[in-house]
Amino acid sequence: MKGLVFAILGGGFITLQGVANSRISQDVGTWQTATITQLTGFLMAFLILVVAGGRGSWQELKKVQPLYLIGGTFGAIVVFSNVTAIHFIGVTLTVSAMLIAQLGMTVMIDRNGWFNLKKQKIKLPQLLGITMMVAGVMILGM
Amino acid sequence: MVFGLLFAIVAGALVSLQNIFNSKVNEKAGSWATTSLVLGLGFAASLVLGLAFEGGQVFNFSQMKWWYWFSGLLGIGVVTGIVQAIKYLGPTFAISIVLTSQLGFAVLWDSLGWMGLEKVPFTQQQFIGVLIILGGVILFKWSERKAT
Repeated sequence: MKGLVFAILGGGFITLQGVANSRISQDVGTWQTATITQLTGFLMAFLILVVAGGRGSWQELKKVQPLYLIGGTFGAIVVFSNVTAIHFIGVTLTVSAMLIAQLGMTVMIDRNGWFNLKKQKIKLPQLLGITMMVAGVMILGM
Repeated sequence: MVFGLLFAIVAGALVSLQNIFNSKVNEKAGSWATTSLVLGLGFAASLVLGLAFEGGQVFNFSQMKWWYWFSGLLGIGVVTGIVQAIKYLGPTFAISIVLTSQLGFAVLWDSLGWMGLEKVPFTQQQFIGVLIILGGVILFKWSERKAT
């Protein structure tokens, strides 16, 4: 039950973030929106890290392969694209298309075993799932 | 419309890459150090791109409303929600619910037209579309689980 509430809140916050950012970007620039929201998020996360006494874990970052450390920079493009998409096609279509691209990309990465992940064959139900999602989006967009 | 979809697809593909990269960082450094790093870099990259495309305008705060400063804190809610949900439910079930909730709230926001969004009335056709998408998400996530 507790887990369910956390999952629903987590998903709700993801969508709310996109909506809030697209509202903010009506008043200030989209890049500025991405800059401000990630700055305040960073400050808060860092504060929690320090208060929770996890500063030592900062050292652990050295053990991570450098390529994986730069994932955060994608956030700039993600926020920008998310906001721009919401302006053009609304929240529902944006979230739907993002989910399809997200799961589709995951399948492609798994299939090719990129980033040292175990190579996995695409299974029929997965293809079927993505096909259903695409069909659903087409119905939404009609 | 095609333009909007393209942006959404780029965002989704990058989120998937980011999830993989971040989870590798997470294994070693824990969720708060990872979140700090990810948002810190996102901030830096946005600032650089902002300076490139909008110039000094990036530092013009005259149009800012007070709550704009707090929107970034939603990210903390996202991380907490997902990390805790996975702890209680395991990744497959947790992420299925997260994705469902994401889409559910999207429909809610569109149909209510909150926060300056253009109000999109919730029709039967939309209901069917969302239902099919959800069916696809759940089918995908559960077949993924069987694989491992």
